Amino acid sequence: MEMDAVAAAPWWIWPIALFAVSFVIGIVAVLAGVGGGVLFVPIVGGFFPFHLDFVRGAGLLFALAGTLAAGPTLLRNNMASLRLIMPLALAGSIASVVGAVVGLSMPTDLLQTALGLVVIAIAVVIWRTKEVYGGTVESDALGAALRMRGRYDDPAERVRIDWRTHRTLLGFASFAAIGFFGGVFGLGAGFANVPALNLLMAAPMKVAVGSSGLIISIINSSAAWVYIHRGALLPLLAVPAILGVMLGSRLGARLLSVTPAAVVRRLVIVVMLIAGARALLRGLGTW
Amino acid sequence: MVSQEEHDARVQRLYARWLDAGMRTAFAVSLAAFLLYVSGLLPAYVPLEALPRYWGLPVDEFLRRTGAPSGWGWVGMMDRAEYLNLACIALIASATLVCYLRVLPALLGARQRLDALLAAAQVVVLLAAASGVFGGGG
Repeated sequence: MEMDAVAAAPWWIWPIALFAVSFVIGIVAVLAGVGGGVLFVPIVGGFFPFHLDFVRGAGLLFALAGTLAAGPTLLRNNMASLRLIMPLALAGSIASVVGAVVGLSMPTDLLQTALGLVVIAIAVVIWRTKEVYGGTVESDALGAALRMRGRYDDPAERVRIDWRTHRTLLGFASFAAIGFFGGVFGLGAGFANVPALNLLMAAPMKVAVGSSGLIISIINSSAAWVYIHRGALLPLLAVPAILGVMLGSRLGARLLSVTPAAVVRRLVIVVMLIAGARALLRGLGTW
Repeated sequence: MVSQEEHDARVQRLYARWLDAGMRTAFAVSLAAFLLYVSGLLPAYVPLEALPRYWGLPVDEFLRRTGAPSGWGWVGMMDRAEYLNLACIALIASATLVCYLRVLPALLGARQRLDALLAAAQVVVLLAAASGVFGGGG
């Protein structure tokens, strides 16, 4: 959209458009197992008139609200485990605050370029990652001390699954790194949480997906305050995004059982490649 | 005598119950505050018609030109619509802190010292972030 047309549009168009976009991303994010910030930030940053500082703040709130809204159901179904979440979220939330401070002090062009590269890289990672079924592993000493284990009933398979995790120290390092980049870019980083929990620590896929959401909610709670105190949250941008994603993620959770995951997965990859390319080209000053 | 697994399940349900109540409340008050904002029933600090002139600026420039507060300065301005909305956003950002504060006594009561230590450390991080020591007043 040309900047003149953007400037000429009445202000009320944008919150309505933001609500609609956030509602749709909220549905897609749940279906694809990502937080949604990774779609929200490049799309809103690329196609809406707001400065990236405000878009990243709203992106963090977007991922926070969506994951908090889904949290109670995930915990009650044991698809998320507090035993797994609490230690990893602590490492991630400390790193995310540092990341948010770093992100707010970086030049916008550099941030746009880096965001574009990160989003394209994530799309490739999602494309290349295959679902891994968590096998039975032996806990390491730290994992045993933290009792990182649990049990859940899988209604689809009609089985009760006992699980435990390993490689705990590597898990801590991964969540610190994910938290840092999530804070810098205002992303929920669920795309990275799930492989870290499933591939690295051997948590079953459903527990990895469910726990990822809760971890995002805890990590982003810390980083959100950095944006609040810096004055980098525009309510006209953030509140429609929050309301849209809360409704969208609830609908997404209902649609999850009837939508082919492969269809949504491909959709997410295409959207991320477009949004990432747009952010990259904007950062390089060629768009 | 309650087993460790049963106690873990209780703590998890307690967290879920408080989070559920917090998010339902946050949704309702956020919607109400936003309607007050966009309807003009509550006056805004930066009028909605003027906002498009500023929302494309970097945050530091936005604050300089509008004179909008940073840090905790917004707390005393909740008679302005955007800062009432910011209070609702702060409520959402506080939901996790409230849940941790609720489960902490349960962990201490069950003598789960390591878990209580982790929860207490998370509370400290959340309180430090909320206090603005990491980025307030910028």
